[in-house]
Amino acid sequence: MSYYTLVTALPDLPPLAKCKQMPISRIALDRRLTMLSEEDQKQLKLAESLYHFGAEQPASLPDQKLVYQWQSQLSQIQSEPVRQCIANRLEWQSFLAAMRQRQQGDKGPEQFFGFGRWTTRIRQHWHEPTFGLETALPLLTELHPLLQKGAAGEVEYQINHHLWQQLLQIERSHHFTIETVICFVLRWELAEKQIRNNADQALAAFDTMAEGLIATPAIRQHIASAFEELS
Amino acid sequence: MDNLILALGWAGLYGPMALGAIGSMIGCSLAGQAAAGALLETETGHGRYIGISAMPSSQSIYGIVVMFALNRDLTVDNAPGLAAIGLLCGLALMFSAIYQGRSCASAINVSKIRPEIFGMSLAPAAIVEGFAVFAFIFALVISAGVPA
Repeated sequence: MSYYTLVTALPDLPPLAKCKQMPISRIALDRRLTMLSEEDQKQLKLAESLYHFGAEQPASLPDQKLVYQWQSQLSQIQSEPVRQCIANRLEWQSFLAAMRQRQQGDKGPEQFFGFGRWTTRIRQHWHEPTFGLETALPLLTELHPLLQKGAAGEVEYQINHHLWQQLLQIERSHHFTIETVICFVLRWELAEKQIRNNADQALAAFDTMAEGLIATPAIRQHIASAFEELS
Repeated sequence: MDNLILALGWAGLYGPMALGAIGSMIGCSLAGQAAAGALLETETGHGRYIGISAMPSSQSIYGIVVMFALNRDLTVDNAPGLAAIGLLCGLALMFSAIYQGRSCASAINVSKIRPEIFGMSLAPAAIVEGFAVFAFIFALVISAGVPA
């Protein structure tokens, strides 16, 4: 099938750091994605469920079974670049899981099950801060201190930024193909997730600020007098 | 054997027109599909997208002109020359129209995002057009050497 109409019907997504508002809603995006053939829609859905697995995976599933499930689903993705992209995303998830598991200290390397080519290496270099992969994956060096500080939001942003760049690179090197469409949709979801997180952070900050204000005696006095006037 | 040579001569005569038209169909279709998508995404500038999508149609016109330039009484002597010039020129026109269509689709895609680069984004399509013009002009020049 031809993807010319669909690709040009997709809006431009601003850089992840500048994403404040989605240029297209999910409803409008889904309406445009109906131009895809049934087979392509299946591939897209599978890619989305693997790339943004959090919402759909049952939390009770053991790591080992989850990894097997990922491997089996990933083999159904036909496009090699998309498969690599998803594998990369799942590998980063494994790194995060390993770092968290090590930080909690309740499980050892032998109980760690991760996805991808680095799993054995992670087990072998469990006690090294970046699993001895600082040269191959410099981002790990940046993530380790952030995780130590408990800055989960910043860690997520750094990983998302890395994944965004990879998706953008594939999207730009495949013109008017299914890869362009899938990478766009995956980027759309990364941006949407970030905006949603920012909104949650803003709400939490507002709550803290409001509580802080109410706690000050002068404001409390004003509120009390306002209630008295009303009653 | 003579019949085969004459058949090739006829193919060479009609080739530039037919192959150019095939290329234009594919090229205009690709660029047109891209233009249709851009119409969904933009509020203004629709006319220029449609205009760009018609760019690969010029190869059909070149094909017609070459066909008329090659048109003469077909003999066993001139048929091989007509076949070579006509078919090669037709192929050049066909491929240039297809690739120009793809260039136009890319131009539409990027100028939809940044309208200010509209002119610059057309440069690749214009360069491809230049090669089609080369094939067209030199087919005319060389056709003068084919016996009437």
